[in-house]
Amino acid sequence: MLQNLTMSPDLGTEDWDPDVITRMIFIGPGAHVSEQQIVNEFHMLDLPLTIKNTCYGSMISGKSKDVYKAIEEIRKLDPNHIFTKERGFAPGDPRRCRGHRFGPREGFHQMEKEYRILGFVSEALENPKEVEVEDKKPIKVDEFKKIMNKCLENKE
Amino acid sequence: MVKIAIYPPNSLILADLLERKGHTPLVLQKQIRQKIKDPEIDSPPMNLTSDDPIKGLKYAAIEVPSGVRGRMSIIGPLIDEAEAAILVDGAPYGFGCVGCERTNELSIFLLRNKGIPVLELDYPTNQDETYVMVNKINEFADSLQENSGEE
Repeated sequence: MLQNLTMSPDLGTEDWDPDVITRMIFIGPGAHVSEQQIVNEFHMLDLPLTIKNTCYGSMISGKSKDVYKAIEEIRKLDPNHIFTKERGFAPGDPRRCRGHRFGPREGFHQMEKEYRILGFVSEALENPKEVEVEDKKPIKVDEFKKIMNKCLENKE
Repeated sequence: MVKIAIYPPNSLILADLLERKGHTPLVLQKQIRQKIKDPEIDSPPMNLTSDDPIKGLKYAAIEVPSGVRGRMSIIGPLIDEAEAAILVDGAPYGFGCVGCERTNELSIFLLRNKGIPVLELDYPTNQDETYVMVNKINEFADSLQENSGEE
């Protein structure tokens, strides 16, 4: 457990600024943009942001006004496949960065689980339609008997 | 624009869908950020001070384990701020980061009893169920917009 702790992280002034926020940008399955395109687009915006390229998309950090403006612009690339989420820690913060720890970062398992249905969410946003889900009910005994007898007859 | 509490409080999908509609999701990460920007605390996971269980007394009685009260000191302010809530039930293990079932139960109980509009959903497992979830969240977000517009 001790290896997981960094007792005195060396933090810059940005890390203490309450107005500085960090957002994670996720690219859902089936997106029309790549991680690199997203990062390039962030650089092209020419805003004072810290940008980190990651496997799931990217992470940006900066003053909240700049971050929200950047997200608004980036969403235009592929509105239904780009998702964003807040992050408490700044990119590369030694207390959370995987490079300084063993095993996955906290929050990775949440991402992993949500990513499984992220593709369906994108499809639902892209082609909105009404869907009715049939409740699963147990099969009736008579019907079960019929199927069973039919199977037994076929066997003979 | 309405402040909406979500459960699990760190969900990407719930927070993103609400932001698309212009609402403010009350996510745990914002509270955590406030905590880590506090110069007193420099070493999560040892990130609770002795004051936190005392703050948590507002939400849970003294007999309740200090862990629950400590967690409530972080989640409680979000519940206080909430003007609406979306609760997702039956999420798989690992979805959500509160890490304590008693805290989950208490938070959901407080949100249900607050007298605010609450949307309760089941975690989807296939495409059709995801469509239903997205449709319900969008409808709920739109209805809140209409109500807040009337006021």
